[in-house]
Amino acid sequence: MIPVLGLLAGLAVGLFLDPSVPVWLQPYLPIAVIAALDAVFGAIRAILDGIFNDKVFVVSFLSNVVVAAFIVFLGDQLGVGSQLSTGVVVVLGVRIFSNVASIRRHLFRA
Amino acid sequence: MTLLTTMMERPLDAGYQEAADRREAAGLPKATSTQTVLVVVLTLLTGFLFAVAAQSLRPKPTAAAAVKKELVTRIEALQQHGSEQEAKVAALGRQVRDYEALALQQSGGPDLTSTIKELEVEAAAVPLRGPGLTLTIDDAASVGGDANAGSRPDSGFQEGRVTSGDLQVLVNGLWGAGAEAIAINGHRLSSTAAIRFAGQAIVVDFRPLSRPYVITALGDSQGMQQLFEPSFAGLYLSQLTDQYKIRSTMAAGDSLTVPGDPSARLEVARPLGSSPPSAPPGSPTGSSSQGKRSAPSTSTRTSPGSATSERTSP
Repeated sequence: MIPVLGLLAGLAVGLFLDPSVPVWLQPYLPIAVIAALDAVFGAIRAILDGIFNDKVFVVSFLSNVVVAAFIVFLGDQLGVGSQLSTGVVVVLGVRIFSNVASIRRHLFRA
Repeated sequence: MTLLTTMMERPLDAGYQEAADRREAAGLPKATSTQTVLVVVLTLLTGFLFAVAAQSLRPKPTAAAAVKKELVTRIEALQQHGSEQEAKVAALGRQVRDYEALALQQSGGPDLTSTIKELEVEAAAVPLRGPGLTLTIDDAASVGGDANAGSRPDSGFQEGRVTSGDLQVLVNGLWGAGAEAIAINGHRLSSTAAIRFAGQAIVVDFRPLSRPYVITALGDSQGMQQLFEPSFAGLYLSQLTDQYKIRSTMAAGDSLTVPGDPSARLEVARPLGSSPPSAPPGSPTGSSSQGKRSAPSTSTRTSPGSATSERTSP
């Protein structure tokens, strides 16, 4: 319950403060969001599997975001930024889908 | 394939399972609490990230849309202003003509009223009413109906579309058949008006027209029809209908009106008697003389370029 409240509080703070993101950071935002989603769904699945670990959650979240951003940065430097972004989105999207499918199996037994 | 298989079948981080195994070996419960400070801080951060990303990446419609909206309102306001000014010009022109007539009467000179009236008719300065023909032509039904004035067609030439050349031929044919005054879609053709094209839009006297094109020609309707149909322009029209399915209807009317050309203005003035008048005096309006007929028809036949230069030079 408390993590959900934390998420909502973070959303509220972000919406309320509405900080301006520097332009150089903007290409990384969508990738960071997808990576964060992946980590969050992985954590929910781990909770349902009964093997949640807070350190693993934090580390997987941070490494996901950092690695995804780094791949996009590297792609930008090599001139294939959009292709690599697509790759990252595809991989993380597949992971999110199968994690959500597993969560669904846990919750609805279907 | 290994990559794909691991990705599809074991999407969960292996770290969770390993950590659980380690904790089990150490005699602790498999899962830690979900309510530790680390987790709460991270969820806060995640929510913050979502909100910021959503807000900063959402396309902001304000800038472009606002500019476009403002341009649209400005165009509409200016168009309204333009038509108001046009009406004002027409009203003032009428007033000027009234004063002219009054001045002529008071000066006691020779009665020039009928001459002036006739010249005004030929210069397309005054609106006229009388019997005549209306020739309506429209693009073929196969051509998309989106050809409004000002829209830019994406494709090139389309066969079933009425071109400015068609209109030129038809208008010249009507002049040749004895029309005394011609208007297209309510734009009076004066001797300096040109029928031209801009892209695929037809422009008469620098005003774009939209289909259908209604050509109103005042004159002896029966005689005109008899002269027009066997002429080159008549054959051209039937050819257009047969080959390109351009739709056309011709109807005679007893009381048609053509407006005056609001842009007509005085360009040359000579004292009376110092040189021969530019048009033969005599026959009153309504009966068509050969001289009158030829004057407008030659001027429409002149190349658009010359007409343009004449008109643009103030």
